[in-house]
Amino acid sequence: MMRNIDPHALQGQGAAVSRNPEIQGAPFVLPKERFLELRLQPTASKSVVLGVLGCLLFLGLWEIAHYATPESSRKFMPPVSDVVTALYTLFAERNFLHDVMISCYRVFASFAMASLVAVPLGIVMGCFGNLKALLNPILSGWRYLPAASFIPLLLVWFGPTDSAKIALLFIGVMFFLLTLVLDNTLAVPKEFVEASLTMGASRQEVVRNVVVPAAMPAIFDSMRNMIAVGWTYLVIAEIVGAQDGIGAVMMRAGRFLNVDVIMAAILTIGILGVATDLLFRAAQRFLFPWSIERR
Amino acid sequence: MQTIAATRPAESSVRQTNTVPLRVSNVSKTYLKGTFKSLDNVSFDLHANEITAFVGPSGCGKTTMLRIIAGLEYPSNGGVEAFGKPVRGPGPDRGMIFQAYTSFPWLSAVQNVEYGMRVLGVPKAERQERARDFLKLVHLERFADAYPKSMSGGMKQRVALARTLSQNPNILLMDEPFGALDAQVRWEMQELMIELIEREQKTVVAITHDIEEAIYLADRIIFFTRQPGQIKADISLDFKMGKRYRQKEDLIALPGYGELERRLFAMMREEIKRAD
Ligand SMILES: Nc1ncnc2c1ncn2[C@@H]1O[C@H](COP(=O)(O)OP(=O)(O)OP(=O)(O)O)[C@@H](O)[C@H]1O
Ligand SMILES: [Mg+2]
Repeated sequence: MMRNIDPHALQGQGAAVSRNPEIQGAPFVLPKERFLELRLQPTASKSVVLGVLGCLLFLGLWEIAHYATPESSRKFMPPVSDVVTALYTLFAERNFLHDVMISCYRVFASFAMASLVAVPLGIVMGCFGNLKALLNPILSGWRYLPAASFIPLLLVWFGPTDSAKIALLFIGVMFFLLTLVLDNTLAVPKEFVEASLTMGASRQEVVRNVVVPAAMPAIFDSMRNMIAVGWTYLVIAEIVGAQDGIGAVMMRAGRFLNVDVIMAAILTIGILGVATDLLFRAAQRFLFPWSIERR
Repeated sequence: MQTIAATRPAESSVRQTNTVPLRVSNVSKTYLKGTFKSLDNVSFDLHANEITAFVGPSGCGKTTMLRIIAGLEYPSNGGVEAFGKPVRGPGPDRGMIFQAYTSFPWLSAVQNVEYGMRVLGVPKAERQERARDFLKLVHLERFADAYPKSMSGGMKQRVALARTLSQNPNILLMDEPFGALDAQVRWEMQELMIELIEREQKTVVAITHDIEEAIYLADRIIFFTRQPGQIKADISLDFKMGKRYRQKEDLIALPGYGELERRLFAMMREEIKRAD
């Protein structure tokens, strides 16, 4: 049996009738929002405001650091304004754009080559256990060799050329990326592969049209993370016998104790790194709209 | 009855010459270097156009049996023949629906259904048209261009079903296909299954834990013993008198329903109690 419940009848029962206007149907007053709310996802505009605030906070600390430094050594800790001026001068008078372009070229060219090797190789190693057993021990060992230790060897082989720098970046990125792609491929649910096999798919069909699309969003994530590593290796590659590039500019500035120029160059790399990251994220949203949003 | 599935000429001629769609002979399966016995000397024939349910306690080897039939695993002893041909690996004559959702998330519903036909080499124009028909069959025509990401579990499972049916397999294998669904959706899917199988005339094997589901769907129940899996009972659901009932309440009203359900529950209890 179902009963119709009269809401007014309830009010009369129990303790005193509530004076809370909400109970009478007034708009619900949301609890006061706390700054440290658990798992709260701020709105897009609020995220931007907070992000800018974080940057300003950093710049503020930097200024404080400048004035906190004793007068005698203050030139080694220039204020924000000096660094911005140095950055402007670099671009306006010292053709810094050329160095930036060269560095971008080195990072992207080496990264493209590393990806061209690591992505297909990682995928086939993830698909075929025998290939993994054959190649993984030797390839994964390379990750533990510091890329910088190859500098002397690369200088002997290539001289102080672009190739030497690109090779260094390649070594620094490729072996890590390979391991990540291998893991991404192994993470493809086995049911996808088995479903495809029971539909009569060939091995080639499974690899190309099931494993690759299934693993691609995760592989793209790995690539995004590894290009960041590429940017961090850039300076190591360019401080050795380089005439141009952001790292070379920094080394030269260092020799003349131009701290503001060094900082301007670091800032440039940071900005370029963040821009690359945003580019990858945008590409990801465009290429894999079907993949589940990760937080 | 009209079937709209793509017919593969080679298969349909086989279908007429040999009437045993699947024969399982003396199949045993051991794991861990032979120390663990999952299936112990199992033999049975599937009958054409019959729905067979595998029922048994957890871990008794139902999934193992189904995967051996699908060709995704090999028996340690014995063998399986599909229409007289030994099974040596997976193939589109034995379609499989998994418990996990296998509709590909990078393809829309209609592209998912097309995938199965593309693998079989159905020309593009034809498969595009047929894919829509099959989506209609599982009542998803309005979601043809939606991606699995935006679908409920039941919808994802229906996409997978349409994809497999579009290949017109001789045998449809299902491993707890509705296990992950909540009660109401499960019920809808069961009714849909009856509707589809009536229409497509398929030989079906469905694994289920759910005795009520087994009685509702099956024409025959193969009950497995606790590990190592052997056939405990092979029950023909004669009380249905060769009919399939879409509405569960009609089935429950039949004489013999309660008796069978009681018997199955008792068997299940017996097997669970056999624990050491
Ligand atoms: N690859 C494997 N290695 C070792 N043991 C396995 C393997 N696959 C299955 N088994 C064992 O074989 C037995 C049967 O497994 P199976 O998955 O077929 O059971 P099931 O009847 O489907 O159970 P459930 O109802 O829980 O799904 C289980 O005890 C399981 O642990
Ligand atoms: Mg199972």
